[in-house]
Amino acid sequence: MSKFVRQHKQAWASLKKKPGFILTVLMTMGITLGALLCAVTLNYLLLVEPLPYPEQDRLFVAEHKLIGPEKETKAVAYTYPGLVHLYKSKQAFEQAAMMIYGQDVIISHSNQPLVNTTYVTPEFHQIIASPMAVGRMFEASEAIDTNNPVTMLSYNTWQQEYNGSADILDEKINLSGISYRVIGVLSEDFIEPELNGIGQETQVWLPWDYNQTGEGGRESFGNISNSLKFVGQLNKGVSQSQAQQLLTPLVSDRWQEGVVEIDFFNGWSVSMIVRPVKDVILGDSESIAVMLLAGVVGLVLIACANISNLFMSRTAEKQRQMAIQAALGATKKHLFKTMFAETTILMFMSIILALVISKVGFYIMQQYLGAVLPRVSELSLNPITFGCAVLVAITFALFFAKLSTRMINYRALNTTLQSSGKGSGLQVSKKTRQVLIASQVALATVLVFANFSLLKDAVKTINAPIGFETENISTLILNFSSTNFPTREEGIPIMAEIMEKLEALPQVESISQSRSPLDGFGVRALTSVADNKNYTPYFNNVSHTYFDMIEQPLVQGDNFTLVDRKDGTDVMIVNQAFAKQLKADGDVIGMQISTGRPDPFKIIGIVRDIAIPGDAATDHNSEALGSGVPRAYVPNGLNNQSFMIKVKPGQLVSREQLGKLLGDVDSRYAVFSFDAASDILTQRLFAEITTAVTTAILASLVFLLAGIGLYGILSYGTQLRRFELGARMAIGATRKHLVSLIIGDNTKAILVGFIGSIALFALAYIGMSEYIQPLLTWQVIPMLLVTLVLIVLVTLFACYWPLRQYINKPAIFTLRGSD
Amino acid sequence: MTEIKIEMKNIGKVFETDDIETHALKDVNIVIRAGEYVSISGPSGCGKSTLLSLLGLLDESTSGSYVIEGKDVSHLSLDEAAGIRNEKIGFVFQSFNLIDELSVFDNVALPLQYKKEIPTDEFIKERVEACLKMVEMSHRAEHKPNQLSGGQQQRIAIARALVADPAILLVDEPTGNLDSQSGDTVMAVLAELNKKGTTICMVTHDARYADMAKIQLKLLDGQIVKEERLKVAV
Repeated sequence: MSKFVRQHKQAWASLKKKPGFILTVLMTMGITLGALLCAVTLNYLLLVEPLPYPEQDRLFVAEHKLIGPEKETKAVAYTYPGLVHLYKSKQAFEQAAMMIYGQDVIISHSNQPLVNTTYVTPEFHQIIASPMAVGRMFEASEAIDTNNPVTMLSYNTWQQEYNGSADILDEKINLSGISYRVIGVLSEDFIEPELNGIGQETQVWLPWDYNQTGEGGRESFGNISNSLKFVGQLNKGVSQSQAQQLLTPLVSDRWQEGVVEIDFFNGWSVSMIVRPVKDVILGDSESIAVMLLAGVVGLVLIACANISNLFMSRTAEKQRQMAIQAALGATKKHLFKTMFAETTILMFMSIILALVISKVGFYIMQQYLGAVLPRVSELSLNPITFGCAVLVAITFALFFAKLSTRMINYRALNTTLQSSGKGSGLQVSKKTRQVLIASQVALATVLVFANFSLLKDAVKTINAPIGFETENISTLILNFSSTNFPTREEGIPIMAEIMEKLEALPQVESISQSRSPLDGFGVRALTSVADNKNYTPYFNNVSHTYFDMIEQPLVQGDNFTLVDRKDGTDVMIVNQAFAKQLKADGDVIGMQISTGRPDPFKIIGIVRDIAIPGDAATDHNSEALGSGVPRAYVPNGLNNQSFMIKVKPGQLVSREQLGKLLGDVDSRYAVFSFDAASDILTQRLFAEITTAVTTAILASLVFLLAGIGLYGILSYGTQLRRFELGARMAIGATRKHLVSLIIGDNTKAILVGFIGSIALFALAYIGMSEYIQPLLTWQVIPMLLVTLVLIVLVTLFACYWPLRQYINKPAIFTLRGSD
Repeated sequence: MTEIKIEMKNIGKVFETDDIETHALKDVNIVIRAGEYVSISGPSGCGKSTLLSLLGLLDESTSGSYVIEGKDVSHLSLDEAAGIRNEKIGFVFQSFNLIDELSVFDNVALPLQYKKEIPTDEFIKERVEACLKMVEMSHRAEHKPNQLSGGQQQRIAIARALVADPAILLVDEPTGNLDSQSGDTVMAVLAELNKKGTTICMVTHDARYADMAKIQLKLLDGQIVKEERLKVAV
């Protein structure tokens, strides 16, 4: 033990003399290994670690797939009665729950916060054994059709909105005019399965009976919603495919009965998809995690090549010290142990820094990637992280020690002393240096190209014109805090008064009684009367001032009028994409479109396409259109409870100001949401912005590391050739000759590096073709050229910079080797 | 009157460190005419190598003027100095400074490749072969330097110095890294070259070889303290 301690003390004493060396190794390995630990922990969490629920391998989500007449998937979403029918049938599942996700305002709270709500049947929390901080979870008294107005709060809602009040179980909260008694608060440790989208956390849990589906919706097989979910624990011994086979006829028969009178659904069918909860939660995030890991491994390899170079230079520097040790009887094994003691100290220091960095990385991921990657809230330093850290530290310590001692020609060490260090220098061979240059170039090219490609796509999406104005525009959506909704006639004068007061605000430039396009479109089943063809475009009810406010130009025909809205005229405006879908020449003015009601809509105008990030085509026919997705607009009623408010430049309207204004008009109205269109656009582009930032950082880091690595290797190589350069200068070589010489000598290694990068691309393609195939378009060629040019520039810089100290001084300095 | 190849007037060289000034050379005046064989000798630290560096434009003097074949080369840029070295000066170093990765032929041909106008391959071949013949090393043209003895390497270095037909051959301790027999051979080659008209300036601390030159300059503390012109050479 004392020998071990002594050896490490000596190693530390030797290292202490080189603080720059320690710092470089520590920073390079610490940062890259920190990123590696983050990526490994994330991959373990997503790919290996079971969900934190009892018998999680029996937890499945059953999904309702609508299939069109041509056997194409139209949608994966439930109808309300279909879901209830499935739930009540109690087939295949030992326990199952229904859920509906929504949002509402707690009007009983002084701040009237907008919260995420989930209406569930009691089985949900029982299946996942939700831990409670206070009170109880839903039970049989809150089952379907019991109408018991109680609620459970999330831990954060309890802390943030009720300051963690100890009397929370005495509280009642009011949402949409219904007063719910708080019966429990979920524990801080509760992890909600992210079934409705990554990062969406329920703040208020409510019994199923109180979901906001209207009476009509509860009976309609024609309306679908992707907020409706079914989750349960499969019966023991029932497989996923058996469950699908069992449930499909059950659901299909009921659905066919329900739509028998709706012509639109002629030829349609439904089937059930049963998927593990884990698959639903993870979605395609596994590929993101694997790609992230691959990128980080590349970074670690570049860092490893850099540090190898540093260790080899240090070994060369220590040859005299090692020669003395050899003269005193040290064997090669002793020299390895000395070197291993140094590398162990450095790697363990690096891994401690790496653990700190990974902890920071987890925090950053939780703060900024919670909406992109699932389960990030579960990220923490766990035994896998620590185990990986120890393994990596030992592996790298052994690798660097072995690499360094492999350079030592033990027999030549004695001559080192005899010749006072002249001539028999221990050197990194030219072959090793060329291999290091080639590997740096290959890895850097692959990583930079991959990052550039992702960055380019993300930036393209971010910068793509959306086709409408968002500047200074916000959407106000009203909340009605009573169960007695006003009739259309009662609502119209109230909305008119609200509009009048809003227009009177000094900050306001104009008002439109509609939502911003970014607040979402519905999807509507439409039929062309002329040829009876069915379509499912995005659909919105808008006011006559909607297109003017968002500056979406009308390219043909007429706009809606106030009279259309007053009289409920059956007119429709479509966008260019839908016009082309309806008729190849796009001339659809006057065409009749049916929604299933007796009176069809008449198309009176065509507006230019808009591009809302995240809006994909709603049916397979639309994809061929390329530019924009089909959209249809009809006039909304004068009792519409949403307003676009355009403020004057530099002006602001607050939520509180609007709350007071609404209260003055009618105390039953409150602010449901008030969001700036530009903020919603940023939210919709969050994934692209995150990708752009991450890839830009990674690409810069790769460049930095590759630049440092190439500089280190080329600088060392140039230093070794100092006397040769001096001799060439003495016989008349100019600076240009010498720069060309060094570049020329390294060209082969750089070319090998580029060829190596192609081999790495090929390997990546073989291993991950499903992810890479879609990225392989002709557009990658310019990106590849840009990458190659940048790598060449970095390499040229790394060739020239170490050389300048020799060629920019009189030749004698280089020949003598001193200043 | 024989053509003046080199003329140095009042040359001085001062090395400066943080707070110390070292006068390596003081008011050195040298004239070397075509076909002369000059040796510079003196004790260690007297400034021999510094003087040779200035003669070879490897370094710049602090004061004085320097003219090679009528051209003032006192103040040249690095690239201009490289051009003059390539055209007018042939160097022979104590440690040969051959490039191990190149063959003997390519080592000798190297200065021709740094010419402003690169000669034709035929010319290079002809010239290299002629120079190798002069030092009796034609049979080793395809060898690598590390396959040769020290004496042979130095003869290759002399051939390299001659290949561009310089105005003067500057030779720095040519026998310093050689045994006496190889040293004698190299010195015989230099004497033969001088006999055929090559102008040579050699730095040596070996009195035996210094005496072989027709003009012997003795340097002490950075100054020429003695100049001897001998009538008889080896």
